[in-house]
Amino acid sequence: MTEGLKLTVEEGKCVQASAYVPADNFTEYHVREDVDVMFKISIAVLAECLNIFGSAEESSLKMYYRCEGSPLLLVLQPQSVHNVMTDCEISTQTPDSLLDLRDSDADEVAKLVLKAPAFLALLADLERSCDVLELNLSPEHPNVSIVTYGMQDRSCIDMPKSSDMVSSFSCEQALTLRYQLHHIRLFMKALALSSKVVLRFSSNGVLLLQLKLEKEDQRQMFSEFYIVPLLDD
Amino acid sequence: MPTTRRQQQASASDPAPEAAHQPPHIVTTISKLSKECVLRLSSEKIYFIVNDDSSGPAPPVLWCEIPQMMFFSEYQLIGVDDEHKDIYLGFSSVNLSRPLVTLKSAKSLKMKLTKKQCPCLTLEIESASSTSQQTRQVTHDIPAIVIPRKCWSDFYEPQVPKPDISIELPSLKQLRTTIDRMRTMSSDVVIRASAEGRLTLQIKTDTAKVSTRFKGLTVEAFEGPIEHSDSESETQINEDQSRLCVCRVDAKKLSMFLNADQISHNRVTCNVVHKRLVTLCLRTDENVHLQCYITGIVY
Repeated sequence: MTEGLKLTVEEGKCVQASAYVPADNFTEYHVREDVDVMFKISIAVLAECLNIFGSAEESSLKMYYRCEGSPLLLVLQPQSVHNVMTDCEISTQTPDSLLDLRDSDADEVAKLVLKAPAFLALLADLERSCDVLELNLSPEHPNVSIVTYGMQDRSCIDMPKSSDMVSSFSCEQALTLRYQLHHIRLFMKALALSSKVVLRFSSNGVLLLQLKLEKEDQRQMFSEFYIVPLLDD
Repeated sequence: MPTTRRQQQASASDPAPEAAHQPPHIVTTISKLSKECVLRLSSEKIYFIVNDDSSGPAPPVLWCEIPQMMFFSEYQLIGVDDEHKDIYLGFSSVNLSRPLVTLKSAKSLKMKLTKKQCPCLTLEIESASSTSQQTRQVTHDIPAIVIPRKCWSDFYEPQVPKPDISIELPSLKQLRTTIDRMRTMSSDVVIRASAEGRLTLQIKTDTAKVSTRFKGLTVEAFEGPIEHSDSESETQINEDQSRLCVCRVDAKKLSMFLNADQISHNRVTCNVVHKRLVTLCLRTDENVHLQCYITGIVY
């Protein structure tokens, strides 16, 4: 896309995560304007290639892609050492159809803006052995309560909209949603990189989580997670 | 077994601070490579030898020579007879590396071959107490097997063919990081070394082809030109094939050998026998000489 680069991964048709790298993150960015260039690659292989000089090393990166069927070419050069470079050819595939979780018929029923570090700490405190996270949202106090059920206990965290970690809260009608805790944990890593997080709940229960990823002296990148709710038994 | 006739004592008191850190690093490197190792003691040098775990009597995969003078202030060795002056001991390398880690804060180390319930390599480590003037003495007994003379020949220095190229290696730490990334994608790595001082590591899988190229490395010896008659030596633009040595090796083994980056060294070279063998040679300021042999994989 002319706006930038978007990476999307899916897990079990229940979670879809995307990362956006806007074009202004690159010193040079050229793409065909008439079509969206799209292909599928192994994320594990891409991650290994990008870390070929170790995750602590800042490297310069050039990426090339010619046309459908041709590999994605990466050229990496570490900034601290000059006599070395790596080039990678990652084979590409035609993409499978991506889930479209953005349902235009479903309205947004609640929206929460939270401070990411506090939200991350809260999630990290949740009981590890639990499978399900229940979220109660209501216009009445305590506005948000997060409930987990363990083997012998039920624990509940209340988050009123007056709390320091809640920047904004809107919800018209009380609702209860349940998600796989395992799915929730998937976005914790991204949460650690961001300062603010937006949670949007649509009437079909799908949770959309939007994050702005920040790193000092770098331009902004964004990521999004769609998480499908658990249905009542 | 004539073990009782053997007495051996070596002790290091007051080693140079730098030198004292080397043996633990060497032994730790060895323990990561193999569970078992052989210690050979001779009048001039001590040797650590590792044979390939999998196959019985095979040529060593690691050969390390340490001049005893550099590390021991006192060294006594009495062999079986004049013709067999050396002692060969087999033991678990982890058993030796663990106690040696404590050497950092130790004042002295005394190594002895003792006979307890079984033959033991006994380490007596004297270390200063952090709270008082007194010293503590800790004794470690490491069960060892005294290797009988008839088996000594399994542990002789491997006779390797003369390398086609001998090239300086870049930073081992950097190399290991790269190899470890490659290892997650492929089980073997192709090493290419050119007479122009270029070294390339390459993996090829169904999903990716990754090449890391180093340039400007010192070539210490080159015995070209080399025959390239088959398809494996993929043509690279601007690279004269007759000036290039290639060997495909196991990525895991290579990574394990690169653990040697913990040993502070002054020079590491990579010797390649075209398509057959890669030897990594590491030398330290104390004249410790460590060699690792990785045989090439041929399809």
